[in-house]
Amino acid sequence: MMPRRKRRLASRIRDYVRGLLAFLFSNVGVIVLVVAYTIAGAFMFQAIEGGSEWKVDKQMSRERTNLTQYLWQNVTLDLNLFNETAVKERIGRELRNYQTKIVMAVHKGWDGGRSSRQWSFSSAFLYSLTVITTIGYGHLSPKTDWGKVVTILYALLGMPLFLLYLTNVGELLARWFKCIYALVCLCRGCPGFTRRRAARLRLQYELSEAESIERPQAWRSRYPESDVTPEYVLPPGRYPPPRGYPRRPDYMRSISMPQPYDPRGPRVDPRRGCSLPARPAESPPSSDFSYVTFDAQTITVPISVCVTIMVGYIMFGSMIFGMWEKWDQLDGAYFCFISLSSIGFGDFVPGERVYTARIEPSFIICSLYLMLGMALVAMCFNLMQEQVMHYYAGLKRAVKRLGRCKR
Amino acid sequence: MDRHHPLNASFHGSMRSRDSSSTVGSDAREKIKDCFRKFIAFMFTQVGVGALVVCYAILGAAGFMHIEKDSPDVQLHEVRQLRQNCAEALWNITITDNLFNETAWVIKVDEVLKVFQNNITAAIHTGYNGRSAEDIWSFPAALMYSLSVFTMIGYGNIVPKTVWGKIVTIAYACFGIPIYVLYFCNMGKVLAQSFKWLYITAHECSRRDDTLFEDGEMQPVKRKITVPSTACLWVISFYIVTGTIMFGAWEKWNYLDSTYFCVISLCKIGFGDFVPGANIADSAGGSHLKLVINFIYVLLGMGLVAMCYNLMCEDVRVKVRELREDLKNCLDDITLKITVCMNDTKYYHQKNSRNVK
Repeated sequence: MMPRRKRRLASRIRDYVRGLLAFLFSNVGVIVLVVAYTIAGAFMFQAIEGGSEWKVDKQMSRERTNLTQYLWQNVTLDLNLFNETAVKERIGRELRNYQTKIVMAVHKGWDGGRSSRQWSFSSAFLYSLTVITTIGYGHLSPKTDWGKVVTILYALLGMPLFLLYLTNVGELLARWFKCIYALVCLCRGCPGFTRRRAARLRLQYELSEAESIERPQAWRSRYPESDVTPEYVLPPGRYPPPRGYPRRPDYMRSISMPQPYDPRGPRVDPRRGCSLPARPAESPPSSDFSYVTFDAQTITVPISVCVTIMVGYIMFGSMIFGMWEKWDQLDGAYFCFISLSSIGFGDFVPGERVYTARIEPSFIICSLYLMLGMALVAMCFNLMQEQVMHYYAGLKRAVKRLGRCKR
Repeated sequence: MDRHHPLNASFHGSMRSRDSSSTVGSDAREKIKDCFRKFIAFMFTQVGVGALVVCYAILGAAGFMHIEKDSPDVQLHEVRQLRQNCAEALWNITITDNLFNETAWVIKVDEVLKVFQNNITAAIHTGYNGRSAEDIWSFPAALMYSLSVFTMIGYGNIVPKTVWGKIVTIAYACFGIPIYVLYFCNMGKVLAQSFKWLYITAHECSRRDDTLFEDGEMQPVKRKITVPSTACLWVISFYIVTGTIMFGAWEKWNYLDSTYFCVISLCKIGFGDFVPGANIADSAGGSHLKLVINFIYVLLGMGLVAMCYNLMCEDVRVKVRELREDLKNCLDDITLKITVCMNDTKYYHQKNSRNVK
């Protein structure tokens, strides 16, 4: 029994590897990957940029001291003290220069001596999220040389990753949404459920059939309670075992699992990865299982529904941010739209105007809102594209028919 | 090349003759229909779409300029008021205090200046940048703004302040982004085709020389040639280097900064910490030209990025297919070997046991 164990081990390892890969590229894996990448980026940028903040701060306070000195020396001591207008004019001019300096400093990223640090973890997290989603608010931007270089590299690596996330999660959400739409709006039972029920029925049916007729003698004698998959039951040596036994989606497997292989001529499907259909001879009358063929993925969701969802999400966001940041409704909707369309002006950024300790949760809520919203937009685009293609095909058919009629 | 030409010509000729015969044979209605179809095809080709994008940008620029220029400069007034208050406070300190106690005076003035500074910073965070609305919303700047809206770059150095400006921005983005995506796809396809043609021509030329050298007669290469990703990367990096040098010379940025600007722009991130022509100290006339050239640079660059995206997608797809086939073959081999090996050992064991018996 040594070789069989070995083979089992090999196949198990292969299964593990395959499972790991599938998991990595599945939806959960991609989400985890994106979040991990963003967190890593947050730590990196915090480490790189955090040190340079204090320098600018110190420089601005020096600037202020300079101005005071200048005012003392040149204005107060020089000018005639009782000439109020002249003094005020002079002071005004100096203040104007000073103001320009402040404007420049703020544009270069100075924060105005706010007590909290600019590159806290959550703001760095939001920063790296805005880089990979290509939103780019610009309320934070790297000031050091290394920060810039790392940002470029980070973006080049992160954007494909986020694109992967978008397509993957968008597809998944679209599938779910179709299912929900079919269930709620079209009043047809959720196909997953009916399919499962049908599968269970068929399973019982086939089991009883197979028990009486189909099991070859050799098997029944050797493995009376055949719980083992046929792969391991096959008498070895006569032909290569059906390696790569098609990994089917779960429902397909449950529909047609206990089909014993015919030992004389194994029916290996030429297209690998595609399951063998249930045998036509013993398949039950189609009327019983007709609703199995109904697939939620064939329906299309009207564009108006997608638009409603997007508008609803933006309204929801504007309400939340309006409560949180004390923006009015228009500003909140504007912020949500500009963010979700990945424009990202950065004139409204959560946690920017509030001088309290609530900055951190607001950054995190914003990140969550963005990640979910981007996926939702991708989903809507998926659905809308399908619908447009559907319309287009219909239009084409109609035009063709029209042309045929004329001629 | 020489062999290909007559074939091509004859092919084209046959096409044309068939075309002309069909058009000659048909009536006027058919001709009009043909014309109409051609016109629509032209509208949806790269020329039409490019013109559409530019027109849309210009339209948007005019609209935003009109809307935003009339906005009252509330913030400018506020900042002026702040400055006057500060001057007043300083005057009061000078009047009331003992003039010969320098340290006390300095401390008080510092206090006042700190308040002033915080106010100014708050004003800047809500959008004040030292210019009046007429200064900001010049035509090139508005053009840049509308470009940054519908390409989804969003520099954010210029933002709408009025309510109507915000609403119009949302509507403008809603219609502009699909147009831009159309441009992106179209431009990408056309540029990819032409670049591929170029690459294949160059490739065949060089290959032909080799083959001629080797066996005297050229074998027509039937294998489909895909442009390797490295070529695309070269093109993009060349474009970025061009932009780097150009903006570096104009804006007196160092090379890292201007590379950073180019990458951030072409990736559609658009932080807005570096924007050409946004320097406060800059004169108005020079910045306008820069903005227009930046507009062209970004729009062309987007087309190039789309081209590279197309080509690289194709390349990656081909590579993945090859890899998968290789992997499949490899796996087949391994499993075959394993089964054969195991069967052998099994038979060997069985034989052994039989022999022992």
